[in-house]
Amino acid sequence: MNKQIGITTTVPIEVVFAAGLKPVDLNNLFIGSPDYSHYIDLAERKGFPKSLCSWIKGIYGAAIANHIEQIVGVVEGDCSNTASLGAVLESEGIKVIPFGYPHDRSKKLLGEYIRQFSQSFSVSPAQVETQRKYLNEIRAMAHEVDRLSWQEGTISGLESHIAQVSLSDFYGGEPETARDELTQLLEQAKERSPRSHQLRLGYIGVPPMTVDLYESVESMEADIVYNEIQREFTFPRCFLAHNIVEQYLDYTYPYSIHFRLDEIKKQIKERKLDALIHYTQSFCHRALDDIIIRQEAGIPVLTIEGDRSNSLDARTKLRLEAFLDMMADAGLRGVRF
Amino acid sequence: MISAGIDLGSREVKLAVLQDDNIIRLEKWGTLSFYREFCSYQDKLNVDLVKLNLSDSDVMISTGYGRNNIDLADFTPINELKAHTYGALFQSGKRDFVLLDIGGQDIKVMKIQDGVLTDLVLNDKCAASCGRYLENMASVLEIDLEEMGKYSREPAVLNSTCAVFSESELIGRIAEGVPFPSLCAGVNHSLYKRLHPLVAGFNPNLLLVSGGVSQNKALIKFLNEDCETVEIVENAQYNGAIGAAIYGARSHEQRRD
Repeated sequence: MNKQIGITTTVPIEVVFAAGLKPVDLNNLFIGSPDYSHYIDLAERKGFPKSLCSWIKGIYGAAIANHIEQIVGVVEGDCSNTASLGAVLESEGIKVIPFGYPHDRSKKLLGEYIRQFSQSFSVSPAQVETQRKYLNEIRAMAHEVDRLSWQEGTISGLESHIAQVSLSDFYGGEPETARDELTQLLEQAKERSPRSHQLRLGYIGVPPMTVDLYESVESMEADIVYNEIQREFTFPRCFLAHNIVEQYLDYTYPYSIHFRLDEIKKQIKERKLDALIHYTQSFCHRALDDIIIRQEAGIPVLTIEGDRSNSLDARTKLRLEAFLDMMADAGLRGVRF
Repeated sequence: MISAGIDLGSREVKLAVLQDDNIIRLEKWGTLSFYREFCSYQDKLNVDLVKLNLSDSDVMISTGYGRNNIDLADFTPINELKAHTYGALFQSGKRDFVLLDIGGQDIKVMKIQDGVLTDLVLNDKCAASCGRYLENMASVLEIDLEEMGKYSREPAVLNSTCAVFSESELIGRIAEGVPFPSLCAGVNHSLYKRLHPLVAGFNPNLLLVSGGVSQNKALIKFLNEDCETVEIVENAQYNGAIGAAIYGARSHEQRRD
């Protein structure tokens, strides 16, 4: 078996690295490929229905087309589709090592799950802790990228999205490459003068299929200064954690919407956000979170739904334009009712 | 402070003038007549403000369909979605609603949440769900448009999705001896059936209706069967122009302050 192991969502990557393996985030492999649409076709030909999340289909296609031999299958804390995807991949001869996040954020249970996960790879807690300290050093650089994007305005929403999302597998299982890339970005940022945008937006929800969203927003004199889940991938509070269990307990993505919202509300205040763009994937249960987000956010929310395409459709662009235009009216032009 | 809003539609040009948030003038013309009577072209489309009695306006905003069409000298253009949203916000005093604007050739369904436009559907390529459809059918039935709009009982079934093909279908129903009131109701109901999925998709608690077709009483009755509350926007045909004018007033105040 080769050293690659596919992941479909964030898992204790420290364990994977400690085992000498190279994690590959199948989401990034899928969306970053010029063949991304072909990966979805592969899944649909296999029998994945049209009315199913495109990420799940893309992950399947990416795993098969790139001859991934083993993956970590998250059975709790991502979504039910991922669990079933694991079963399909297993039926194709791919080894699936399970992992889960306890839905009630029980420290005891998470500790047990991480212990079992480590045992699957025959790594010790000490080895895992060494990796955690090492990887956290690099994560800190991503935290600085994030800070520069919202506090100084020398890093764009798109750059912060890419840098943070790439930390799910440390730029394809290469932490030193991650370090180099982040170093380069931080160096470039030093040479830039801060930009002030008329509108400060937060992007919440799973990372988008439609990455051109960032350019579109920027062309409308707004910028995304908070990338919620991408930031969580970098464990922004990792230095408060004493060990791996505490670190993965303080990670909002796999747990309840209320836990996520606590952090979102904090960031809305700290980053002085004007509005949120909530991205949901078609057929995803997270679209239901929209109901609660709207009740709790306290600032206007525009919900965008992505499906198969990796670029925004005309209607979404029009909605975005109208929404941002009116937000600018309220903010700058004093047009209020 | 006097602000003027002009909504350049494909069939009619609508003008609204506000003084300190009060509507002091509403006027409309056929589009071609308007261009002929009040406009000249010199690099840009110029409007004769004196002839139009707008010389004492402090701010003038234009809106309507198509960026080029609404680019008038002395007027600041804003997009019509915004104009309609502001018109509805101003006239209704509400902040959460779905606005259904049914014009002669296009319809817009807009979701406003907490005073901001957050979703919309436009149907501007097909006129089968618009006023033009009603005009054509009223002409086939040889009845006044307003009169036809009153019929809603026992609607005859009309299945065609095309406004033109519907005419043949209607004539067919006449030949079958379907009673006249049912034919009229059928026309109104077929319009409602085409609008329904667009509106239902937004699941409104409060539906505001604007545009010329809002005067169709039967349509409002059918919409009432789906939505908790349906209200016709005051000065329904002028909603875009009023919205443009109020936008002008608010942004002008802000600049001054």
